[in-house]
Amino acid sequence: MNRILSLTFMITATLVVGVMVSGSAKAEDAVPMTEEHIARIRNSCVDTQAILTQLHATDAGLRVDRGQLYESIATKLMGPFNSRLVLNRINEETLLSTAAEYEKQLQTFRLRYQQYEEAMSATLRINCVNQPVAFYDSVVDTRDKRRLTHDSVVELHRTIQKYSTAVDVFAKSLQVDKS
Amino acid sequence: MTEEDLIADAHRLKGWERHRFLLMIGASIVVAIMLVAVSMKLYNSSGAAQLDLSRPGYEHVSEKSLQSEVFKGYSAVGEVTPTTIKEFQAMYAKRANQATNIDAFGGDVMSDTALSLDAPAAPTAPAQ
Repeated sequence: MNRILSLTFMITATLVVGVMVSGSAKAEDAVPMTEEHIARIRNSCVDTQAILTQLHATDAGLRVDRGQLYESIATKLMGPFNSRLVLNRINEETLLSTAAEYEKQLQTFRLRYQQYEEAMSATLRINCVNQPVAFYDSVVDTRDKRRLTHDSVVELHRTIQKYSTAVDVFAKSLQVDKS
Repeated sequence: MTEEDLIADAHRLKGWERHRFLLMIGASIVVAIMLVAVSMKLYNSSGAAQLDLSRPGYEHVSEKSLQSEVFKGYSAVGEVTPTTIKEFQAMYAKRANQATNIDAFGGDVMSDTALSLDAPAAPTAPAQ
């Protein structure tokens, strides 16, 4: 009986520690703000949170749609095309390296969006009327993370174009070889 | 073993032993709560939560996203000829256009002005 109790206690303690070990709150540098600015934030922040809630939902849909498109380009176009080249014993380094670069950028995009979404959720949880400065700091942090997510999107678009150009060059070289 | 024997056995139990059934139920509930907490933590930290549009508040977004077409993609098996490459280029161009036609997460929607969080303009000194 005692063994069962101690085993249950150990399992529970392990799980509690696992759950409790989470990211600690990041200390933010306080933004110097005037009393007027704080009052303005306090007055308009409920409307701001409504806007942010809408943006949060829209961005979630955007993440799913864009994510599916970006994933499909990697797994259903770049990957199969590179595999076909390899199966035909064609070594096209540019296409392989561009596809690998795209995969890395896709991982970064996933991570950055997750960080942005977590920041946005944290912002929406803040009682902005009671904590206007903390709310503003959180909005600034969320904005920075959204900007990073956008940077990832720009990089992905650039690499999609780069792969397309590399395929064009390869197609031309193949035509020259055949003629 | 008769019913009397069982009752006698029960009377011989001491302390916590008498409540072991309740203890087992209590411990099971505690373990279940802990496992659910761990699952929720993993659900949130793995990024699955961000892709789950079935959450409350995302229903209207979910309805729009479900209208996506099925894309089979390019076959990894076959010859590499100018014709097959052209076929790939057409498929790729269409998909690339769909992926890049929206500047996702861009714009100025989170600026201080858009969110009405900008600092009020400093009062100008009266002209003398």
